[in-house]
Amino acid sequence: MASKKPDRDAVLDATDFLHREALALDERRFRDWLDHLTDDIRYIVPLRVTREGQADWEVSPTSRIFDDDKQTLTLRVERLETDFAWAEQPPSRTRHYVTNVVADPGEREGELLVSSNCLIYRSRGDSVEPNLYSIARKDTVRRVDGGLLLARRYAVLDQSVINGHNLSILL
Amino acid sequence: MATKPIGAGVEAGLESIRDGIAQGRFPARVFNDQEIFDIEQQRVFSKAWCFLAHESEIPDRGDYVTRYIANNNLIVARDESGEIHASLNMCRHRGNMMCKSEMGNASHFRCSYHGWVYKNSGELVGVPYMKEGYEGRIDKRDWGLIKVRTQTYAGLVFGTLDPDAPPLDEYLGGFQFYLDLYLKQGNSGSEVHGPPDHWVTETDWKIAAENFSGDGYHTPVAHQFGFNLGYFASSGATHSQGWAASIPGKGHGIGLGHTPGFPPFAGFPEELADEMRRSLSPEQVEVFSQTRTAVGTVFPNLSFLMQPFSIVPGQTGVRFVTMRLYHPIGPGKTEMYSWCLVPKDASDEYKQEAYRAYTLTFAQAGTFEQDDLENWARVTRSAGSTMARNIEFPYVMGMDSVRDPDFPGPGHVVKPYVNDSNFRNLWSRWSDYMTGQV
Repeated sequence: MASKKPDRDAVLDATDFLHREALALDERRFRDWLDHLTDDIRYIVPLRVTREGQADWEVSPTSRIFDDDKQTLTLRVERLETDFAWAEQPPSRTRHYVTNVVADPGEREGELLVSSNCLIYRSRGDSVEPNLYSIARKDTVRRVDGGLLLARRYAVLDQSVINGHNLSILL
Repeated sequence: MATKPIGAGVEAGLESIRDGIAQGRFPARVFNDQEIFDIEQQRVFSKAWCFLAHESEIPDRGDYVTRYIANNNLIVARDESGEIHASLNMCRHRGNMMCKSEMGNASHFRCSYHGWVYKNSGELVGVPYMKEGYEGRIDKRDWGLIKVRTQTYAGLVFGTLDPDAPPLDEYLGGFQFYLDLYLKQGNSGSEVHGPPDHWVTETDWKIAAENFSGDGYHTPVAHQFGFNLGYFASSGATHSQGWAASIPGKGHGIGLGHTPGFPPFAGFPEELADEMRRSLSPEQVEVFSQTRTAVGTVFPNLSFLMQPFSIVPGQTGVRFVTMRLYHPIGPGKTEMYSWCLVPKDASDEYKQEAYRAYTLTFAQAGTFEQDDLENWARVTRSAGSTMARNIEFPYVMGMDSVRDPDFPGPGHVVKPYVNDSNFRNLWSRWSDYMTGQV
């Protein structure tokens, strides 16, 4: 299969951006994480449904686990800053493993369409059984003032029935 | 259905649990116990009417979803004449699973093992090598998919494994009055916004069922962030106001939280509120127009919550409805199914807004849902410990409360909203099933 030559700089830049964004989450610097997002961010985690191979969709066009914008993501972060975010008291230990980064030109000038795999390891309390979330991400990353910001995250979990008694972390 | 013999000691234990409920006590161990789980599978889930699907999930002929009653996987399908059938998802020939996806559309199901073919109504229509192999020894009429009895109420499809169970209307026993608040939002009723979230939780189904049967008590603490940041339309001071309504002897219960000064039907689009004023009974309008929060459980494991939520602190926000099913998969382990219901007649804009409020609050990553599950998982863990085997919980709140004579709705209705009377009714009904009274 003929493939166009990847823009190495774009892939390197996008990879570096995703790693830094993941680091902010794993180090629980949630305010810093918000700074990685554009003001018009759309953050969507749709539901995956087990369907036959011939079905017209497998990722639900209507059902979503997250359906956020900057305002609601800020609300989630504000909540984590209170003393009453019980789901994260004590906090989950997370590690985002970001791989297979592919960057292509986006729809708009200065934007990249970035595909990546993300495996999140989540450990809570004294439990010896971590939650593992394997995720396909299709992000839109925008160049703003020489740096990159996340303008759209579309993250699809590989499980249709998800483990972990809740999803109190960011993907 | 054959019942596994249960030892005399266990029967006595179940009787004593039943007696305890009447006195306001319930043992911790029932929330995480293998023996209780096994008996529940046989005595509760093989006899009660269990929720299967909302009709709007299978709107067209041939549409199906796969769901469970106890550990039985069922196909819930709309046949070619539009009728809904529930059939065991198991080929009659050697037991292979017929439908392996959660949802789809098919006029026929063909087994991938030896090729037996059934109509979506469950009727056997095709057997390979019928003449050469079976020589007339198989009558197709005898070997259709095993059927499960179904009945519907206002879009909800229920099934029961018990051929002798009373009709669904009798089973609901007047709780329909309250269910209409979720199911008859406007002349055309409600529909699902899309397929349900589902996830496996380390919690017992009963903890969730109890909480949703009207636990107004936990809200100011478990969801304190909502009060603190101003995202919740009541305060700690006013939160206890409202009613706890239950249907005696049926197990169903609902909490109706009320905030003084909250405008009638606040959070609904105006035209929808007008429709509801006309389509609901005057008694329902009287109750629902002043209801802020309505959180209820249909015995055993179907729940609803309606709540306004605003992403702008202090504003009324938008009403959303979540419907959930707690499918027990082991002691202390539940597969949660969570849907968002929206009024069919509402604008797409309102439906989107309501759905976004739902995902932010009560989907599996919802800010309220997260905290509930964290608490419930810890309760479940505690309940499984050896010391907890001899510990009882107090269920004495509102023990002496008497029926509010002015309340226009059916059932045993008491004030305030913060009250254990719904829970006593729920566990009393559960005990009836567990001791074989039902």
